[in-house]
Amino acid sequence: MVRKLYCFLASAIFVPSLLMAASAEDFYRGKNIRIVVGFSAGGGFDTYARAIARHIGKHIPGQPSVVVENMTGAGSLIAANHVYKVAKPDGLTIGHFIGGLFLGQVLGQKGIEFDARKFEFIGAPISDHVVCALTKASGITSVEKWMASKTPVKMGGIAPGTSTPDNATRVLKAALGLPIQLVTGYKGTADVRLAAESGEVAGGCWGWDSVSVTWRKALDTGDAVVVLQANRIIHPDLPHVPLAIKLAKTDEARKLIEVGIHGDSEIVRTYTLPPGTPKDRVQILRAAFNATLKDAEFLADAQKSKLNVDPVPVEEVEKDIQGLFKLDPGTINKLKDILYN
Amino acid sequence: MLDMLNALMSGLIQCFTWSTFSLMCIGIAIGFVVGILPGLGGPTAMALMLPFVFKMSAVEAFAFLLGMTAVTATTGDITSVLFGVPGEPTTASTIVDGHSMARNGEAGRALGAVLMSSLVGAIFGAVAIAIAVPIVRPLVLSFGSPEFFMLSLLGITFVASLSGEDQLKGIIAGGIGLMLATIGLDPISGTQRFTFNQLFLWDGIGLVPITIGFYAIPETIELAVLGTSIATQEVTELGGVMQGVKDTFRHWWLVIRCSALGTFTAIIPGMGAATTQWLAYAHAVQSSPNKERFGKGAVEGVLGPGAANNSTLGGSLITTIAFGVPASVIMAILLGAFIIQGIVPGPDMLIPEPKGHLSLTFSFVWVIIISNIITVGICFLFLKPLAKITQVRGSLIIPIILVLIYLGAFAEKNAFEDMLVVLFFGALGWVLEKLEWPRPPVLLGLVLGPLAENRLFLSSDNYGPAWLGRPGVLIIFAIILLGVIYPIITKKREEREKSASVSEAQATVEVAKPGGLRFTQAALFTTFVAVVLALALLQSRHFGFRAGLFPWVIGIPTLLLTLVQLAKDIMGHEKPKAAAADWEMVVDVAPEVARQRTISILLWTVGFFLAIWLLGFSNSVLVSMILYLKIAGKEKWPMTIAVSFFTWLFVYGLFERALSIPFPDGLLLTWIRGS
Repeated sequence: MVRKLYCFLASAIFVPSLLMAASAEDFYRGKNIRIVVGFSAGGGFDTYARAIARHIGKHIPGQPSVVVENMTGAGSLIAANHVYKVAKPDGLTIGHFIGGLFLGQVLGQKGIEFDARKFEFIGAPISDHVVCALTKASGITSVEKWMASKTPVKMGGIAPGTSTPDNATRVLKAALGLPIQLVTGYKGTADVRLAAESGEVAGGCWGWDSVSVTWRKALDTGDAVVVLQANRIIHPDLPHVPLAIKLAKTDEARKLIEVGIHGDSEIVRTYTLPPGTPKDRVQILRAAFNATLKDAEFLADAQKSKLNVDPVPVEEVEKDIQGLFKLDPGTINKLKDILYN
Repeated sequence: MLDMLNALMSGLIQCFTWSTFSLMCIGIAIGFVVGILPGLGGPTAMALMLPFVFKMSAVEAFAFLLGMTAVTATTGDITSVLFGVPGEPTTASTIVDGHSMARNGEAGRALGAVLMSSLVGAIFGAVAIAIAVPIVRPLVLSFGSPEFFMLSLLGITFVASLSGEDQLKGIIAGGIGLMLATIGLDPISGTQRFTFNQLFLWDGIGLVPITIGFYAIPETIELAVLGTSIATQEVTELGGVMQGVKDTFRHWWLVIRCSALGTFTAIIPGMGAATTQWLAYAHAVQSSPNKERFGKGAVEGVLGPGAANNSTLGGSLITTIAFGVPASVIMAILLGAFIIQGIVPGPDMLIPEPKGHLSLTFSFVWVIIISNIITVGICFLFLKPLAKITQVRGSLIIPIILVLIYLGAFAEKNAFEDMLVVLFFGALGWVLEKLEWPRPPVLLGLVLGPLAENRLFLSSDNYGPAWLGRPGVLIIFAIILLGVIYPIITKKREEREKSASVSEAQATVEVAKPGGLRFTQAALFTTFVAVVLALALLQSRHFGFRAGLFPWVIGIPTLLLTLVQLAKDIMGHEKPKAAAADWEMVVDVAPEVARQRTISILLWTVGFFLAIWLLGFSNSVLVSMILYLKIAGKEKWPMTIAVSFFTWLFVYGLFERALSIPFPDGLLLTWIRGS
């Protein structure tokens, strides 16, 4: 009797959903998609997610409503584990947590309960462009002066394992032999900036999107100077700033920068789906995501919020993440040593 | 100078354009509700409203957002006073004396006092922005990590004045708070401390669930045991509101000092109203000639934090405007709004037009002032009916408070585990209350601990030992010494003067004390504290120097002091007063009935949680409310259905549907679906 009841309940719930899956277009009609963001409301991840949530619904057949949920904690690892283990793979949950966790899995970071290779990916709206900005008062106004500094130059950090500033700074120090003392423990990049202005540290290395907006005034007056950039290409705003990869002297150094900074920058803002999400819904969401990032209304919103949009294609994201799992043990150990010690 | 005055006037005029003023009023209305509802915090509301900002002009946008933010600390105080559940994390400290006043039948007076002091605080903070404009950048830039560390140390010494009559217990409680603050990932080395492999502990334990547990749960238990309304004593005069307003002016200097404390502390990044409220409360206690009234309904204990949690907004805004460094979550979101408006906070904000945005900065000043005047005005209209809530019978109020407790705990971080944290700290808070341990020092230690630890390492990393010699450090050190030594000297002097007259009374106390060794409930609890501290120290030996230093430096002395306390407990060195007796005196409840009711409410509290776990949040609200009202409350059906339905509608409609708070599915439902 009881078993019959269960069967009935199960079929009552499952059969319709199977029927709906047959036509994904009908599936999304009247549904509610949630974007689980691993950081608190008002932060960078949240701002992008909310801008996308406002516009992506109209690019999905059936025009579902889209809400943002903030699931904060452990540097977004809680959200990542949730999307992997708890969230139903029905195409109604999209995860947005920091992409540095994928490298974390390869390096054996504690607390990770997911396997990055099993997630479905949608893409990323932007890749980070890491720069190192230092104050004029520190005396380090070019990478040559930095190299020549007799004492370690104090650079601000937030916490070990953070993609920027900490990981980027540590990789640059190890790969280029720059004299750096990483002073970590500031609450955020804004606090690092304040510490630099008061002369406590010389500067910091994090995304140009953030530096260019929040440190605009000092950059204009020359009180702060970008002395180094770490990306595969030169940023159009920074034509005369040297690229880190060009300064690297050995293959190993180039590999560290490539994996630890370039690759990480591309996947840092990846949007993810739970493993096992039906392929047709994955395709629908990927297409909608791409269409949103080209949507004129979305771009107008983004421009007003000073959110740069430079989509990273999903193929590129997948390539970067698969690449992490093909790293040789030597590089992995070297990275572990640099980032966690 | 003339430029400044021009900008000041222009800021005022801009606030009174039709569109700006009406947007500000909408903001106020939203902030009003957000403040009152626990679990729905200012940050969430602001993030939800941010999209609407796109189409507004800069002045309109900030009138809207600041109007909303400025009033949350004011209306949040109302919930704290009436229910003993903090409406906002920043209004927790008004519970201590505000809710006690409500229980004494003085809800009207407490509300009058808290609203009036909020208004004064808000205006003070706003005026401080205007005055600080020329000096703020050099002032803040002259502060580095060493000075920030010394200031947090100064804050920690306030524990002494929060300790009440028993200084030893207070200092141990402060130590426990500092130890609790070390739970989570250590920000310097990334070591996990006391996380027991639980991810939700990586960021430490939140202030909100601890505060709710500490205050709301013991209050609920007491309410159920007494079987009365919140006000246990006859509410003599609902016109007590005016009395509260008068109190604000009677303690004028206290209100001003606490306002200043709130504003100037908040200029430091990392010190928000969650901290300043406790500093203000400590200051109110410290500066009062009769400290023993605090915690039992002293109006000064309401006025101080009431003023400070509002004046803090001015201080945090100064740092946000002048440096673009967000002092709190709210400020971080406001920073987002700045950027949407194409304005980069920084020195430009302090320069008059056309080069800068000074009149915009001054419009903030006016928005804070005007929105608080409007809010307080509206509140006064509704105060009498609000105060009457304290006369509604407990059986109707208790299930609603239980819903608010779990809602407030869950919705801050959308974390299911936080409801367990509430239960744990509810139990702890109840025991602390019964055994007369002070709770505020725990909370102060919890909020200041991370700041102190972080800035200590940043100081030594940046400057080596040389930071100890910085002039700012020496000045603050002198202030700390003064603050510690001065009360000791005055106390000694008072004791000497009193000693003659008291000696006789003490003799009788000696007689009343039972001789020999005793192992009481108090000693049992102290043993528990000592064991937990010892285990924590034992675990911390694996942390390494960086992550371990703080737990050791705090933990070892706290453990030693706990052992002293244990010796005192066992030797019978305690006051001859029966701790459990005082509430039984107010309303006559036989001990047997009291015990039955205690067990019953404890079961209901845990039962509510289990229902949420099994059935999901909204469903369990309906089921638990009906069961409680019918079985425990013995209410009639129409009342049961009506109250349950409206509470459910409120939780489901507002939180689950409108705000899409991600309540987890009930375990039972998932199981049925899955099998």
